[in-house]
Amino acid sequence: MNFKEKLESDKFVICGELGPPQSANAEVIRKKSIHFKKRIDAVNITDNQTAIVRMSSIASAKILLDHQIEPIIQMTCRDRNRIAIQSDLLGAAGLGIHNVLCLTGDYQKFGNHPEAKPVFDMDSIQLVATLSNMNDGFFLSGDLIKTPPSFCIGAASNPFADPMEMRLIRLEKKISAGAHFIQTQPVFDLERFKEFMRCVVNSGLHEKIAILAGVMPVKSSNALLYMKKEVPGVRIDQSYISRLQTAKDPKEEGVRIAVEIIKEIQKIPGVRGLHLMPVMWESITPVVLEEAGL
Amino acid sequence: MLNFATRQKKEISSAERKISTVLRYFEDIIKVPFFQCQHCGECLLSSTAFICCQRCPKRLRNGPCGGTGENGSCEVYPDRKCIWYRIYKRSKLIRRVPFLYSVKKIHNWNLEGSSAWLNVFTRRIDPPALFRPQPNEKDTNSQK
Repeated sequence: MNFKEKLESDKFVICGELGPPQSANAEVIRKKSIHFKKRIDAVNITDNQTAIVRMSSIASAKILLDHQIEPIIQMTCRDRNRIAIQSDLLGAAGLGIHNVLCLTGDYQKFGNHPEAKPVFDMDSIQLVATLSNMNDGFFLSGDLIKTPPSFCIGAASNPFADPMEMRLIRLEKKISAGAHFIQTQPVFDLERFKEFMRCVVNSGLHEKIAILAGVMPVKSSNALLYMKKEVPGVRIDQSYISRLQTAKDPKEEGVRIAVEIIKEIQKIPGVRGLHLMPVMWESITPVVLEEAGL
Repeated sequence: MLNFATRQKKEISSAERKISTVLRYFEDIIKVPFFQCQHCGECLLSSTAFICCQRCPKRLRNGPCGGTGENGSCEVYPDRKCIWYRIYKRSKLIRRVPFLYSVKKIHNWNLEGSSAWLNVFTRRIDPPALFRPQPNEKDTNSQK
């Protein structure tokens, strides 16, 4: 059963996340792949996240695929125009990678090459539409694709950025553009997430698309403080920060918080799965899942 | 199939370019001081509550990215307000929120710097949403 079939079934889907190395060492990915052997349905491969140069997401996905792990490649509009995007997507489909998460991408300013030219030829919604056009057998130019790919199209949603109504409009647009699943930003504010999901369920959007809630286990309170200060569009409950600050073993407390959030998320109607994204701490993925009883 | 790519209908002739230059002079008199027009040539003002969305650093045409801060600040320039945050607030104020639901076409870079008025006249781009039925009647797949 592949990822797309799992989304169509009633299964509670769990995605992991892997950040490719900032070097040519493919061994790093092979080592990290061990953490995703059990219970993980697919693994996100980030595409130069926060605009820092890393190994290509399609190449890393191929390495994972060789280890029998299903990858979801992230595709951002920051570095490629429509010609490069379509060509890379055809290449990915040719390598047997069929899951794509469409993102607009972080601005260069935050990365290690702030002088680079921003491309942003299209945005994430138009990228979703491009993929669904390619699935139908057409390039953006209107030319026919002889052997069309069959992508499972993902998109991101941030329930925590203001205004929330605009986020729901974007979600609807992504559905009408042809997305199959949504991964959210990490949940650190359950009240806001519940409110968002209530609006989604009330408008019946959860029946049209599978929503996977993001969960991020953190090592220390500094990580949360950094996110609160530096990462835009993230809401963090103050109680989590103080809990981590007072804890004897912050790592253990971080896992406990992640497990608590997972258990709360499972109760929320409309959520179809989880997206576990420990940043540069992939080894914790199996531990969190075991503690949460998944 | 969603028809969202701006297709080149026919090549822009040199005569059209000249007319465009003249027309843009008049267009700029209105659009630059009032809307801080960025000359994309595919004007969206009518569906973005008359705030030019091309002032976004990422030049997004379909709504804000995920980086809008808690008080609506831009992720790239935190001292500025996110342009889409302002668009949403004003759309709500003047009851133009339904216009935000339609998926906007991919930008045709050949039209960059040309006169949007001429492009409407030559049918290269869609006419302003003013003269259209309300999108929530037309856009069935996003509203049902």
